[in-house]
Amino acid sequence: MLKFSRIIIHIAFLYCIYLIGNWIQVTLDLFVPGSVIGMIILFVLLSTKMIKITWVEDGARFIVNNLALFFVPATVGIINYFDLFVGKGILLVVIVLFSTFLVMAGSGLTSQWMMRRKELNHD
Amino acid sequence: MINFFIGMIVIVGTYVIYLFAKMIHRKMGYSFTAPVITSTIIIIAILLSFQIPYETYMIGGEWINELLGPAVVALAYPLYQQRDILKKLTAPILVGTSVGAIVGVSTGILLAKSVGFEDVIIYSLTPKSVTTPVAMAIAETIGGVTPLAAVFVMIAGIGGVLFSSIVHKIFRLNNYIGRGVGIGSASHAIGTSKALESSLLEGSISTIAMVVSAVVVSVITPGLVAILL
Repeated sequence: MLKFSRIIIHIAFLYCIYLIGNWIQVTLDLFVPGSVIGMIILFVLLSTKMIKITWVEDGARFIVNNLALFFVPATVGIINYFDLFVGKGILLVVIVLFSTFLVMAGSGLTSQWMMRRKELNHD
Repeated sequence: MINFFIGMIVIVGTYVIYLFAKMIHRKMGYSFTAPVITSTIIIIAILLSFQIPYETYMIGGEWINELLGPAVVALAYPLYQQRDILKKLTAPILVGTSVGAIVGVSTGILLAKSVGFEDVIIYSLTPKSVTTPVAMAIAETIGGVTPLAAVFVMIAGIGGVLFSSIVHKIFRLNNYIGRGVGIGSASHAIGTSKALESSLLEGSISTIAMVVSAVVVSVITPGLVAILL
């Protein structure tokens, strides 16, 4: 029960950081989603030891381990868009797959190449 | 009052279905049995067979939806856990992930545009490489349809896992950094669980790539959309 209330308090804390991120987005008129700004804030706060990991750990772990639960209601929304994937719409699947293929190759090759160069410089 | 009961039933029901889907995934272990896919299919089947409109489901769904923001904030936690690896390999991971982000967003926009899809569909497709809650937030910011964005994210996740071994062979991706960054940048959490099966280190790198990619894509997408569309 103690663990459960700790999870709730931690999530409430994460929610406050999210609200701050939203506030920054609106105030500075940014395109980056408030939640992503909140994520950066939390990472900076943790890295600079301004807050302790124990302040958010249980809630953050619960959310990350059950991440899918939080977007299931949103994905169910596809129920209103079934007709999009008939006919020409099937091309969207092909585009996503091909683009994903290029992302994996491009990012993978770049980091592997930089890693090799780094190792050569060290030798 | 009746809305309160509908809401409670939806929240409890969604959670129970999610736990069931998670159990199935633990037994089967395929990328296409990811809990989000099974849960979504079960809930859609229930809504369709009892002719419940999505809007009614969302009376409770909104409450769960409301936690998507803090869920994205929570992604700082796995990144923080992997900070030692991130520190050691900052340049290869950051540059590799950024290249992937630019390739993903721009090819998505250009291909969909060349086939002649409407802008609102292109907006929803653009953030497909990043984890669902972030992709939905990006799609919402630039004017896309969030559930559609989630579906494209699933396709990128499952597709990437299915052809990752082919990509490794064709492009000779043979070290854990290239493989981890590749699958984390292209296939987010679904790819990361696949990387974790190969090795803990590849999984850690994939986790870092997934979170960094979420940040990079949300920063570059509005600009690239303005330039390319």
